[in-house]
Amino acid sequence: MSVYILHVLIMVSIFAMLALSLNISVGFAGLVSLGHAAFFGIGAYASGLIMIKELGSFPAAFLSAGLITAILGLALALPALRVKDDYLAIVTLGFGIIVGIILMNLEVTGGPDGLVGIPPVTLWGKPLYSKAGFLILCALILGIMIGSMYTLKYSKIGRAWAAIRDNDVTASFMGIDIYGYKTMAIVVSAFWAGLAGSLYAHYTAYINPHTFGMHTSIMILSMVVLGGIGSIPGSLLGAALLTILPEVLRPLADYQDIFYGGLLVAMMVFRPQGIMGRVKITEIFGRSR
Amino acid sequence: MLLQQLVNGLVAGCAYALVALGYTMIFGILGIVNFAQGEIYMYGAFGAVLTLAATGNLALAIVAGIAAACLVGVLLERFAFRPVRGMHPLIPLISAIGASIFLSSLARLIFGPEDRSFPLEFHPGSHRFFGAELTELQLVIILVSLGLMVVLWLFLNLSKHGKAIMAVAMDSDAARLSGINVNAAYVTTFILGSALSGVAGILMAIYYNATAPGMGLLPGLKAFSAAILGGVGSIPGAIVGGLVLGVAENLGAAYLSSHFKDAFAFIALVLVLIIRPRGIMGSSRS
Repeated sequence: MSVYILHVLIMVSIFAMLALSLNISVGFAGLVSLGHAAFFGIGAYASGLIMIKELGSFPAAFLSAGLITAILGLALALPALRVKDDYLAIVTLGFGIIVGIILMNLEVTGGPDGLVGIPPVTLWGKPLYSKAGFLILCALILGIMIGSMYTLKYSKIGRAWAAIRDNDVTASFMGIDIYGYKTMAIVVSAFWAGLAGSLYAHYTAYINPHTFGMHTSIMILSMVVLGGIGSIPGSLLGAALLTILPEVLRPLADYQDIFYGGLLVAMMVFRPQGIMGRVKITEIFGRSR
Repeated sequence: MLLQQLVNGLVAGCAYALVALGYTMIFGILGIVNFAQGEIYMYGAFGAVLTLAATGNLALAIVAGIAAACLVGVLLERFAFRPVRGMHPLIPLISAIGASIFLSSLARLIFGPEDRSFPLEFHPGSHRFFGAELTELQLVIILVSLGLMVVLWLFLNLSKHGKAIMAVAMDSDAARLSGINVNAAYVTTFILGSALSGVAGILMAIYYNATAPGMGLLPGLKAFSAAILGGVGSIPGAIVGGLVLGVAENLGAAYLSSHFKDAFAFIALVLVLIIRPRGIMGSSRS
């Protein structure tokens, strides 16, 4: 396979992780987040800094990135979950902007220049330079993530999230701890986004605050909405489509954001369930559409 | 120094208050947040700047700017909000977010990404009060904003259309049963909210002497914070919230850190949500 195709596949798997992680809060629990790229960025910076400052090896940096992001997710969730729906979306957007401003102004994060020279992934003491090897690592982690998404979706927690998403008043009558479960959704979502950030940082070796702004948050949300809110194969499909399409349609790069915006409106008006909404994975094959 | 920051904050706060009124009215009647309020503000500014550059007539430019803002508002209501009304809250929310992204990127494509200065130079005189400088331009911005707020209050409480809006906001089904044209009330609300945001956009385009496709994002978000700060759905709340936010932000930038100026609005938002989620003027939340 050419290096370019490997690169696109790696980006697809990183964005698939991001879309799946956003799908936890937006799709499973109905909490729209417009600051998801901030979690992605926190994970990337955390992991990059840990390895640059030689505080730990890759597996440790990778897991710490997830944990640090989860803790910041908790810090966001505690005040933010006092509001819901539209308000929550704006609070998360504000969170994204604050994280962006902080990354821009802190000395340790390199300000607007970002982090340069992030070491590559090391496994068993050996740096992993090959793109094919990195793709296999991403695919493995993505596989684990997909498995845990299915487990989560059909677990007691996933059913509680679905109940809250569909009708929070009824859910609270059923004795579901709404605040607790919503908090959990944000924290789990942040954890996985942080892991994706870690992979991204060590893959590109260079990160700056610009990558983790609102544009990326909207792109991840578009992936989830396009594929179908709440659908696991939908998030994967949305991530694949919206990562590959801009590569294919490079001459039209200027129109990318107009396309995302129009896509979100059109999907909501004409097909709010998305391409794969509420369709089980076993039913996808053999369907006419 | 302190008084000067208060004055500057008050001017920025007037713009936030005008945009926050749009948020609050549309939220009050539809129950959804119009994410594209900041984009309406931007289109208002561009409408005025482009017309002024073409004709040189300031009055015509202001009318054109307000008309542009209203047009965007009406199109939004028709194509992004009406088709999804009454669906699960996630659906209008995502539609509104999409519309906002669409409008700002469309503007970037049409108008180009760079800042434009206002095509007319103002050399306002200034007055000194207790050591603080108040330019005539700032005075005009404050007076126009306050005037519009009074007009809005009169319209909503005394006119037939205004009362129809208030009735639909309270209970749209009961309003429909009483013979009120509910769709017309929605459209009127969007026109009013958009006109106020358009005026704010024009005023700020003159004040900062800069118009750019991205100019609506931060004021839009801050105005939303102002609406929450004041109490969502409350018209006096939106005004108070806007003014308080504008002043707080300027004081924060002057005395704490100017790098973090844009973060203060959101920090204030988070604090309000923790301490008093219903806002300064809000009644108890359902």
